[in-house]
Amino acid sequence: MSTHTGSSFQTDVTESLATSTDTFNTLSAVEIQELERQVEYIVDDCFFTVGQVVGMRTTVDYDAVMWWRDHYREKFLAAMMAFGNRWMQDRSNVTSVAIMLAERAVRYSEGKPSIDADAARRAAADVERHCELHARRAARRQGRDTSDAAVPRIAGYWCTYP
Amino acid sequence: MTPAQEVDYILNDCFFAVGQAVGTQKSLDFDVIPWWRARYRAFFLHAMSAKGNSWLRDRHRVTAVGRFLGQRALHHAGDSPSIDLRTAALASNDVETGCRMNAEREGVSVPTSGRA
Repeated sequence: MSTHTGSSFQTDVTESLATSTDTFNTLSAVEIQELERQVEYIVDDCFFTVGQVVGMRTTVDYDAVMWWRDHYREKFLAAMMAFGNRWMQDRSNVTSVAIMLAERAVRYSEGKPSIDADAARRAAADVERHCELHARRAARRQGRDTSDAAVPRIAGYWCTYP
Repeated sequence: MTPAQEVDYILNDCFFAVGQAVGTQKSLDFDVIPWWRARYRAFFLHAMSAKGNSWLRDRHRVTAVGRFLGQRALHHAGDSPSIDLRTAALASNDVETGCRMNAEREGVSVPTSGRA
């Protein structure tokens, strides 16, 4: 598995999630500790990808780094507690979304010396809207339930869960 | 924030910087991430805890070293489409050698394992 080398923003549909949203209730303290260890690698992977796409066009404020980390670590950990660690299966989809996050952040930082926390927050909001819409469209195409409970099980659950 | 809490934000900041220098022409093998994280988490915690280093004061310099790490990884990857563990280790060795030389020039003592 590897990080991004292309340029597509398209996220594929994530299907056949093996675990249920009840997983959290059955996790032991040791299992939760293990997920907390693994989520750090996943957040690092995403920061690397966002950095790849931003490149040398601009830089990022430390406040923005802190905001992104707090925001996505919480979401990723919640998703992992619900569905297990599917990172190796989902990595290319999620890093494709990170490409979009980077491009939106660069756009929102135009005219500024760097990507600040406000640009980071606005970019994250755009990406999450995109993920939710994509998930609903994918669910409709497959004739599945598009209720709020079902959508995260189909696509984009890494950045829209809970 | 304690050094143990802050170091995770710092590592994210550094992964971003490494990615900036690598760009989109090559990917990163996932097993490099735990290796780099474990290595630099230990170095950074040592710098913060034992020497009282401040990230906000040192950030500009250390993220520049992070970008250098990315450049060296790109160099060692050659024609390979991705940066693997071997390449990452070679890049780390280059960077840490440079850091040790700088530190010695500046009269700062460093552990033999090096620090960014």
